[in-house]
Amino acid sequence: MKWLYLRWGGVLIIAAIIGVFGIQRYDRDVTAISPDRLLRDQPTQTVRVLGMVEPGSIVKEGGAVAFQLSGEGAKVSVRYVGDESDNLRDLKTVVMVGTWNPATHLFESGKIALVPNYGFVTAAYLLSLIPMGLFLFNMERKVAMLYILIKEEKVYQPEQLAEESVESR
Amino acid sequence: MVASRFISKLQRYEGWFGIASGLLIMVGLYLGLVTSSPDYYQGEVVRIMYIHVPAAQSAMLAYTVLFGGSLWYLWKRDPVVDNMCHAAAGIGIFFTSIALVTGSIWAKPTWNTWWTWDPRLISFAIMLLILVGYVMLRTFLEDKEKEATYAAILAIVGFIDLPIIHFSVEWWRTLHQPLSISTRGVSIASDMLIPLLLMSIGFYLLFTYMLMVRTQMLYLQHLLEAKRGRMLSKVHL
Repeated sequence: MKWLYLRWGGVLIIAAIIGVFGIQRYDRDVTAISPDRLLRDQPTQTVRVLGMVEPGSIVKEGGAVAFQLSGEGAKVSVRYVGDESDNLRDLKTVVMVGTWNPATHLFESGKIALVPNYGFVTAAYLLSLIPMGLFLFNMERKVAMLYILIKEEKVYQPEQLAEESVESR
Repeated sequence: MVASRFISKLQRYEGWFGIASGLLIMVGLYLGLVTSSPDYYQGEVVRIMYIHVPAAQSAMLAYTVLFGGSLWYLWKRDPVVDNMCHAAAGIGIFFTSIALVTGSIWAKPTWNTWWTWDPRLISFAIMLLILVGYVMLRTFLEDKEKEATYAAILAIVGFIDLPIIHFSVEWWRTLHQPLSISTRGVSIASDMLIPLLLMSIGFYLLFTYMLMVRTQMLYLQHLLEAKRGRMLSKVHL
């Protein structure tokens, strides 16, 4: 039984490590900030900003598209230079990937990303891996307990029972 | 088949299946959740594929084992194989439920509904009902011989559902995605294909490991019950 618990303890630790990597990746590549937080923090690194395209704000300037991105009571001016996308339209919620330019007070973006929906992914994995682990742990524990019970009750004596079986024939 | 020797073999080899499945699943999870890229249209939610597809495949493998074992049982009347069928059905219910739940969670952001009366979904739900019916039959019948025979017949008849599940995306117009890997080629990017394959193989090995453990569990339960005089056992010792 001790080895059973040790083994499963190891599985939990490795699962936790994978979970940590997943969370790190989420923070690095998936999580987005609001326009309000962008204006407050004015980060220098590349960030993802989640907001809604203000209606009537889209203006095409040569190869670039300028518009206002709003969210949580703030509005940010965005200048997007990149692939044409039908996601850039009035009232559409988008994630713009780029950098904040403090000199021009513009968010310069080169990429439009999909709105993250990691809640569904988390729910799917938790609702499958946790029951799976419990199911398997329960079965293994039951097998171990049954072996102990059988040993205590001295049920399994193959040589003796084989002899009896031969004699009875 | 002599049960004790079969159980000894299971004990000897089950560890390897457990370790192999654990390693493959952990590498597959890491690649699927951390390194693989999101889908162009679905975004991050496509990562549910790495658990949904292997679970569905394992459920179908469980039923296939149940079908094959049932045919063997009706022919040879081997109680060890009957035990294994009973074990496979229980595990099949588990994997089918996982596939349906994760599929429903995936459906909400992609199809904007938790459930739809799609041929693939309906046929998969029918498989779950057949498996539940099988386990209920085994639980409520008193006569063990009849229990095993009727359950085997149910499993064999119900097997017609499996080709329906597999070909439903080709025979009917469905919301469900068609096969990503088929004789016509592979329609999935390699950085998604590799974790999917690893998870699929890992789940197959996990199913095998679970089958070995559960078969032992059922055998030992029968052994204990026989000792305690609750049932006549035909277990060959």
